[in-house]
Amino acid sequence: MSWRAVVAVVLLIGGGLLEAIAVLGLCAMRDAYDRLHYVSLAGFGALLVALAIVVRESFSLIGDKALLVGLVLVVTGAVLAQTTVRSLLIRELGDWRRRARERAEP
Amino acid sequence: MNEWEIAAAVLGFALIPCGAVALLSDAPSGLAALQLASVLLSTILMLLAEGFHRQPFVDLAVVFAPMSLVGSLLFARMMEQEL
Repeated sequence: MSWRAVVAVVLLIGGGLLEAIAVLGLCAMRDAYDRLHYVSLAGFGALLVALAIVVRESFSLIGDKALLVGLVLVVTGAVLAQTTVRSLLIRELGDWRRRARERAEP
Repeated sequence: MNEWEIAAAVLGFALIPCGAVALLSDAPSGLAALQLASVLLSTILMLLAEGFHRQPFVDLAVVFAPMSLVGSLLFARMMEQEL
């Protein structure tokens, strides 16, 4: 077994574990705000899996596209969590920024 | 089965809890479950592409990742109103 295969398997196991932890967290948490944290974690798991594919295949067509997908999932995971929390806050509290402005004005 | 297919199968089973949360919890928790399931499905497609050495599967992942982002953003935007 070459060192590349070993590194690929280690990265694959790490990525799979991160995604499994994310699913467990989704099931264990009681609140949507808590659950949204695990979407970003799963993105990092996908990036580790993509790195495993790159280590195995080098920068081939599959490796490049897998790396692209992993990076997209990591970047958009944080954006998505923030946007979703903002929408949920608006759903619960209404437009809290207007009330904060009114409170700040003398 | 090689290690990539095994990992894809394990992550495929991990979709079941996401579906259960989406079905049984309230709408915001369901949206979080949908977003997590999208990440899992993109990963599964990458793993299947590597396991079967079929490049079209990774093309599916390339298309699915941004499309799931757009869908989740739309759901989040709709969630601002009371459903």
